[in-house]
Amino acid sequence: MNPAAQSPTEFDEQLQSLLGRCAAADADALQRLYALVSPILFACVTRILRRRALAEEALQDVFISIWQQAGQFTAIRGRPMAWMMSIARYRAIDLLRRERFAPVLVAEMPERRTPDDEPDSERSSAVWMPPAELMERCLALLSDMQARCLEMAFVDGNSHEDIARLIGSPLGTVKSWIRRGLRSLRQCLES
Amino acid sequence: MKPDNVQIIDRLASEYVLGTLRGPARRLFERWRASTPLVDQRCRFWEDRLMRLAKGLTPVQPPAHVWTAIQRRLKLTTPRPALRRMRSFALAASVLLVVGLAGLLYWRGHQTIHATVVSTISAKSGEHIWELEVFGNMDRLVAHAARLPARPAGRDYELWALPKGGAPVSLGVLPSEGASSRILTAIQKRALAISSQVAVSIEPLGGSPTGQPTGDIVFVAPLRTAS
Repeated sequence: MNPAAQSPTEFDEQLQSLLGRCAAADADALQRLYALVSPILFACVTRILRRRALAEEALQDVFISIWQQAGQFTAIRGRPMAWMMSIARYRAIDLLRRERFAPVLVAEMPERRTPDDEPDSERSSAVWMPPAELMERCLALLSDMQARCLEMAFVDGNSHEDIARLIGSPLGTVKSWIRRGLRSLRQCLES
Repeated sequence: MKPDNVQIIDRLASEYVLGTLRGPARRLFERWRASTPLVDQRCRFWEDRLMRLAKGLTPVQPPAHVWTAIQRRLKLTTPRPALRRMRSFALAASVLLVVGLAGLLYWRGHQTIHATVVSTISAKSGEHIWELEVFGNMDRLVAHAARLPARPAGRDYELWALPKGGAPVSLGVLPSEGASSRILTAIQKRALAISSQVAVSIEPLGGSPTGQPTGDIVFVAPLRTAS
């Protein structure tokens, strides 16, 4: 089944069901789950680690953790994709710490895009992303630099120091953008 | 690092999830999260929300050998197509054989995996509501939902260990149907080891926001060693 043909809610329910079966040690469910989400989790760890062999090692670790911790997810519930992506990101950040290599410097910063800028094909392909209208509205309230720094930290696994080096701004300024960006999101989400 | 201030907890949780909390502070925070429901709850809040930042990720198909390595590491085996056809034939040919095999597997399963501690949470009428089983050295808690009374809308039932001389320790939200299985943290194991009872409270969805029961305690049940 092509996941793009389903609504995000149906996709979430499908993932929840598969995680429940993983908790009951159903190996076929893990294989199905892997087919559905490994491409996005692999993209996630590859963006942070920037080395393919290391990203492959991380992806193995991620699915072993998912298999072993699926019972915890079924107890806490929540959004399955957020739970799995967190496992992937934290594992990649751990490996970054272990490997102690410097991030690859990217000369050109990606332009910030708004939801209106996204082509229809990209929006429809992100079926793994549950809808979050409030979060979208809150993100739109951030300044360009706040949003850019948050993305560079979350998606690319950059530290404060990495970001300061990449965009050529003082470390204190970067920390301030990130702190204020998170504070703005918190206030918006809870208002 | 044990600030009580909820705002500080939330700020640290947001930086942890974003990935900018690094080094020893990150490791300390991870340990704190594993033992403190409020910290875990704030992390999950930010994990759900900040995931939106990754909407521009383009999926990348991993090479086939990654799945092979995962299967090897987990010692998983999936039946090959030819074996599936043989199994189907065997099913069609002999229902008795399957029933016998299932019986054997059931018997073997119950011979090798025992709960060490069990508890039955019952209504005043005597009707069973949840069956709890703890496996291994207090490692894993399995909760089976039986016949639940109607619960208030937008609320969850949360299970608590009641350690002698100490405050209740959350054992997680109970399932409203089916079964849930969770690995217990070190703090939960210690609490369970010195508890003779468990309790159930009514909490906001997802569990108590404070780490202690905030709603009514609606059930208390004894823990007993499995026979």
